[in-house]
Amino acid sequence: MASLKDIKRKIKSVKGTEKTTRAMKLVSSAKLRRAEQVAKASKAYAVKITEMIEEISANLAKSKDSLDNPYFKSVANPKTVDIIAITSDKGLCGGFNSQTIKHVNSLIEEFEKKGAKIRLRVIGKKAIGYYRFQKREMADEIEGLSSAPNYQDAASFIKGVVESYLNGETDKVVMVHNGYVNMITQEIRIDNLLPLDPDEFDVKAVSTSELEMEPDDDSLLEELVNRYIEYSMYYALIDSLAAEHGARMQAMDSATNNAKEMVKTLTVAYNKARQEAITTELIEIISGVESLK
Amino acid sequence: MSTLKLEIVTPQGVIYEGNVKIVTLCGKDGEFGVLPGHAAVVSLLDAGTISATTDDNKEIVVAINGGYAKVSEEKVSCIVDGAVAITDEEGDLSASLKKAKELLKSAQAADTTIAATVSKVESIKKKR
Repeated sequence: MASLKDIKRKIKSVKGTEKTTRAMKLVSSAKLRRAEQVAKASKAYAVKITEMIEEISANLAKSKDSLDNPYFKSVANPKTVDIIAITSDKGLCGGFNSQTIKHVNSLIEEFEKKGAKIRLRVIGKKAIGYYRFQKREMADEIEGLSSAPNYQDAASFIKGVVESYLNGETDKVVMVHNGYVNMITQEIRIDNLLPLDPDEFDVKAVSTSELEMEPDDDSLLEELVNRYIEYSMYYALIDSLAAEHGARMQAMDSATNNAKEMVKTLTVAYNKARQEAITTELIEIISGVESLK
Repeated sequence: MSTLKLEIVTPQGVIYEGNVKIVTLCGKDGEFGVLPGHAAVVSLLDAGTISATTDDNKEIVVAINGGYAKVSEEKVSCIVDGAVAITDEEGDLSASLKKAKELLKSAQAADTTIAATVSKVESIKKKR
């Protein structure tokens, strides 16, 4: 049985932890709100750019028989696959990162079974730490981008990926991140960044009016697709950040509740120990008096 | 009088949305004006400025660092990477002008483009 003093010390420390976790929860909920706003604001851009790609690719498909563009060329059996994994830089967010890593691992297994070579491009300290420990080679290790996403950095990162795709170094680029659904739910999102799937764009639903292009169609589409990929990358980062804050909020909430619960049981234990001490003391005094009689 | 719907969006959000009488865009092959009823066109935009006259006769100027414009008969959508709206308030004018200059410089715009932007903004200033 722990002594009174020990229990008291433990209660104090648990209360301290509770304070910390509660503060972290508040911070996360404030940050979550901000990340949500950013995500909402950038949604308009996504809608517009998708619209434009749809129209231009429809226009191109009309003039030629098929979309003859490297970005849309799908390969049945990719030889090399790039996997972009986005995790957070900081921990204490429950299963947020481990879930992403789990999915990445199953993707790796799946592609390796088909005989593809995997190149890992990892964003976020958590996954970097994990794969370093696993002694897996990483083509890219990027820190600091997932905790503070900005368009320029995201664009310059993905530019390198796109270049290696166009050079033929890789046949497929897949991006995995844990996305935001609402305050309490996250969802793993696996995006096939490259090649683009023409079926994903609703190519047919376009007005029939002739579109004039300045400069020519192909270079315009190429630029647009590049922009689209850059944007997808940026959006995944924002989405992941929002989800991270959501996950952390939840984790810290349950940590606070657990701490409260623990203080309760410890207080009961403390009271019991105190009563026991008093009882023992009383018995000692009474038996002392008895023996004097 | 008929009007055009103008939209300017960046990855950070919508910069401007409203009805305008005329809009001047900075195309890759040179500046061009768009009036209501313009033929459908998709154009690459260079770094520079988008200027427009709103339906209540206000001048708006937005500095951009490149992007796309999709023109249809009743709508102009501009998808740009970065944009700075040069605001109406007198106090903010110089601050936003400075920001616009920085944006253009970061896009490695030619000096003439920057000078053109500055002069455009200053002419608006004088009109007020």
